[in-house]
Amino acid sequence: MYQRRRTRILIGILLFAALVLITMDVRAGDGGVLDGLRGTATGVLQPVQDGASALVRPLGSATDGIRELFSLRSENAELRDRVEDLEERRRVVSDLERENREFQALLDLEERLEFETVAARTVALAPSSFEWTITIDAGSDDGIERDMPVIAGAGLVGRVIQVTPTASRVLLAIDPSFSATARSSRTAEIGSVSGRGSDPMLMQPLEPAADIQAGDEIVTSSFAGGVFPGGIPIGVVADAGDPIARLTRSITVLPYVDFTRVHHVLVVLSAPVEPVPPLEGTPGIPFEPPPIAPDGEDGAPTDEDGDDPEPEGAPTGPGQDEPEDLGAADPGSTP
Amino acid sequence: MILRTAIMALVLVTVAVIETSVLPFLPVAGLAPDLLLLVTMVVALKDGPQAGLRVGFAAGLLADLLVAQTPVGSATLVLTAIGGIVGTARPYLASQSVTAPLVLAFLSGALGTMAYGTLSLLLGDDRVTGELLATSAIRVGILNTLLAPVALAGIGRLTARFPLGSGSTTE
Repeated sequence: MYQRRRTRILIGILLFAALVLITMDVRAGDGGVLDGLRGTATGVLQPVQDGASALVRPLGSATDGIRELFSLRSENAELRDRVEDLEERRRVVSDLERENREFQALLDLEERLEFETVAARTVALAPSSFEWTITIDAGSDDGIERDMPVIAGAGLVGRVIQVTPTASRVLLAIDPSFSATARSSRTAEIGSVSGRGSDPMLMQPLEPAADIQAGDEIVTSSFAGGVFPGGIPIGVVADAGDPIARLTRSITVLPYVDFTRVHHVLVVLSAPVEPVPPLEGTPGIPFEPPPIAPDGEDGAPTDEDGDDPEPEGAPTGPGQDEPEDLGAADPGSTP
Repeated sequence: MILRTAIMALVLVTVAVIETSVLPFLPVAGLAPDLLLLVTMVVALKDGPQAGLRVGFAAGLLADLLVAQTPVGSATLVLTAIGGIVGTARPYLASQSVTAPLVLAFLSGALGTMAYGTLSLLLGDDRVTGELLATSAIRVGILNTLLAPVALAGIGRLTARFPLGSGSTTE
């Protein structure tokens, strides 16, 4: 009981003393008695504190070093992540730049040739090693029809051989079953170009002694109603070859298009050049003479309405009826 | 008794020097344990409320003079109160309990820090915020709990070697 009372008294005294100290210090502010006491205590213990600090500081530095090591590791990991992220972005940017160049080349070619086209993207390659075809993501819904030419920025890619509403299959110009009417852009010598798989393309001129030299550019020709509009670049003559007994001549043509990297193409919607109407008297071909204007002074044929001079039954495009023997069974065949 | 007082004073000064000169170089998560508060708690737990009050007052005054930027008496008030409370609670704790000292270390560390921060706030220290107060209280409580076994072993050996007079060891 006595101890408890003594404890209570001690609690009261000490707490009261603490409150008095607080009051004195707050009232005195800087320069008071307690402030001087604080300075004295600090001064007395400062050498000890300095010694302890000097002893511990290296340990603290080591601790800081260890902590910094972990911090550096995490920072390193973070920076590695950022580097990977930036590398990924760089790859994306590089891919976008390549894509942009492809699109630019396509646009340039489209503007130069003034074709009506549909853009498409390659979505699949040929399933086997024996056929050179690609599948593109545009089909009949986009206006694509069979035998339409397909071009890339560098030049001719091939022609459409199969059409679904949303996709089309394209026979590449290097496929051995592909052939197209072509001409030398320098001399306009006509011939046929065919694919040979992974080997350069083969051109056989109509006239073996034609003036075709190495380095000549070969472009498509619309000669005799070929399936391709004229002027689409195919490749460059690598070897002009020599006429064999004045009967045939094989010219090696390196295609412009890198067929292993065809990502974006344009399908040419504009119709090939209209085939010439068959001559009168051609056996097996029904011939219908164009209507003659009853009183036309200039001889221009006009129908009764006078608005369309086109002869009835003349083909006007790939979707219309064409004479069976013109352009042959394969529109892309040699003339 | 005089020897014990002198040794206890030496312990307090050593702890104060450690707290002011050593711990700032070895902070854990930006905070250090409150060793003077821990010593007060352990002495009160070992020797009862009167020893706790005296050691708490001395430790608090030392903290005020050496450590604190707040008015002298703030830490004195808090540590004295902690010593008194822990010493008063001592008879109600199982003497061989392992968890009780740890729980007391956490509670005294957390509540003592919170009381000291609140008092500083009341006395015009605008650096103290509610979030800082709560975070500091929990961290000091945890650190004091981790160091409590060491403090209990050290102070326990000291009080066993230099026991209080029979009349002052219990309430």
